[in-house]
Amino acid sequence: MPPKEQGASLIPKKPQSRLWLWVALYFGLLWWIAVRLDITFENLLTSYPDLIEYLSRYGHPDFSDLHKYLGLMGQTIALALWGTFLAFIAALILAPFAARNLSPSKWCYRTSREILNFMRAMPDLVLTILFVAALGLGPLPGVLALGVHTAGFLGKFFSESMERVEPGIYEGLASTGAGFMQVVAFGGWPSVLREVAGQTLYIFDRNVRMASVLGLVGAGGIGMALHVSLQLFEYRQASALILVILATLIALDYASGWLRRKIA
Amino acid sequence: MTSSISLRWPTRRGLPPLPFVVGIAALLAALSFSARVVELDLGKLAHSFVQLFVFAGNFFVTPDWAYLPDLFARMAETVGMALLATTIALFASVPLAVLAARNATPNIFVYRVARDFLSVVRALPELVWALVFVSAVGLGPLPGVMALSVVTIGFMGKLFAESIEVVDRKAVEGVKVVGARWFQLRIFAMLPQAMPDLIGTTMYIIDHNIRAAAILGIVGAGGIGFDMIESMHLFRFARLILITASIYVLVSLLDHISPWLREKVI
Repeated sequence: MPPKEQGASLIPKKPQSRLWLWVALYFGLLWWIAVRLDITFENLLTSYPDLIEYLSRYGHPDFSDLHKYLGLMGQTIALALWGTFLAFIAALILAPFAARNLSPSKWCYRTSREILNFMRAMPDLVLTILFVAALGLGPLPGVLALGVHTAGFLGKFFSESMERVEPGIYEGLASTGAGFMQVVAFGGWPSVLREVAGQTLYIFDRNVRMASVLGLVGAGGIGMALHVSLQLFEYRQASALILVILATLIALDYASGWLRRKIA
Repeated sequence: MTSSISLRWPTRRGLPPLPFVVGIAALLAALSFSARVVELDLGKLAHSFVQLFVFAGNFFVTPDWAYLPDLFARMAETVGMALLATTIALFASVPLAVLAARNATPNIFVYRVARDFLSVVRALPELVWALVFVSAVGLGPLPGVMALSVVTIGFMGKLFAESIEVVDRKAVEGVKVVGARWFQLRIFAMLPQAMPDLIGTTMYIIDHNIRAAAILGIVGAGGIGFDMIESMHLFRFARLILITASIYVLVSLLDHISPWLREKVI
């Protein structure tokens, strides 16, 4: 192309972007990770017929023990319900202290925030492992682990909702001489009731999903049965269990979404 | 939102609103009924706190410092698994999202199939997939990466499809007017508009996947969780305290880094 001197000077220079360099570096890093982790995709590709054969073993679910599976799923839901309830109670107590505009003192605010952060930061499966070791097998450690972990979430959600309430509502109550407890009980909670109901439902939904795998570490529910059936290579039972979990989770997803839309 | 339940209190009758009372009553009934199912009562609950304190005493040991290099390697493996799985899922979920977005899908039938596929894949927790893949390909990080990728495709596909659905129609029409074909329209008009959303979603998913990868090892799918469950079975509290602390630090770090990074990038 013949260069046009005066035309070229009018066109701004194309901005230089180093994006491609970063993308290349990222893929280099990924390649290195894959090598380090011994993940070879040729291996995966050559074993692809084996994988298909393996997955076909799940093809004929065995529903002969369906009532047992439904009972286990019921236990799983009960586990999630109690976990959510414990979390709700703990959050109910902690949230007003962790709301910046309600907390009686700066020190109270920071402490309760840190408690909530700590609860949130411990994954519930890690807590379950520790609680199972302390309390023995059974649903109780699962309930406690879910309770502790999700209390961190609910406390955070509730306190943030309370921070969003119009200051006039609190000031109005305080001007009539209401103390901290009274402001929280008659100003804070009633103003955030709808949000709190929605958030708790969301957490319940999440807890059912989590409770269905807590059994893998011995905390009751349907996960334990799944683990056992896979260890015994009972693929037909395992696939029935997976289908029960799948159907419950999808149904619950729809139900809680509908209820949340109703409340909000 | 059209037929919202009324929760206003006081009502005209001076009593709490009916939906509220019914809701609370149903909840209490469910709780008292299910207490037996989860073998829960107050005495047992109170006793369990005593047991927990006794158990916590086990953690007052000198940490096994010699284990630190292994611990770092395991943590790096955990993060690596999450990055790998997220990238694999990214490549699979962009085309799926185009098919599952109402304004980009070729026809309504493909749209429904893609949507349902994504929601089924998303419904099962990572650990269930991990369990299945571990018994398929054996122990190690590979089944973990596979499980994470599968669930991530479900989430990313759905979130991406939603971002594509809200792109500006006028810009798409503008590109169409200059003669862009079906494929060009999606590549040059829809995806660039959805790009900031896609990047934000991807970062959120990376964060989520690192947390998930930390526990996948419980079923033998690589990462730090594997060491944790092993130390627990062998009652190696000197290691367990380090592992628990490092998971806590990792998650807290993510809580601080990822909002900062999101603001920086978007």
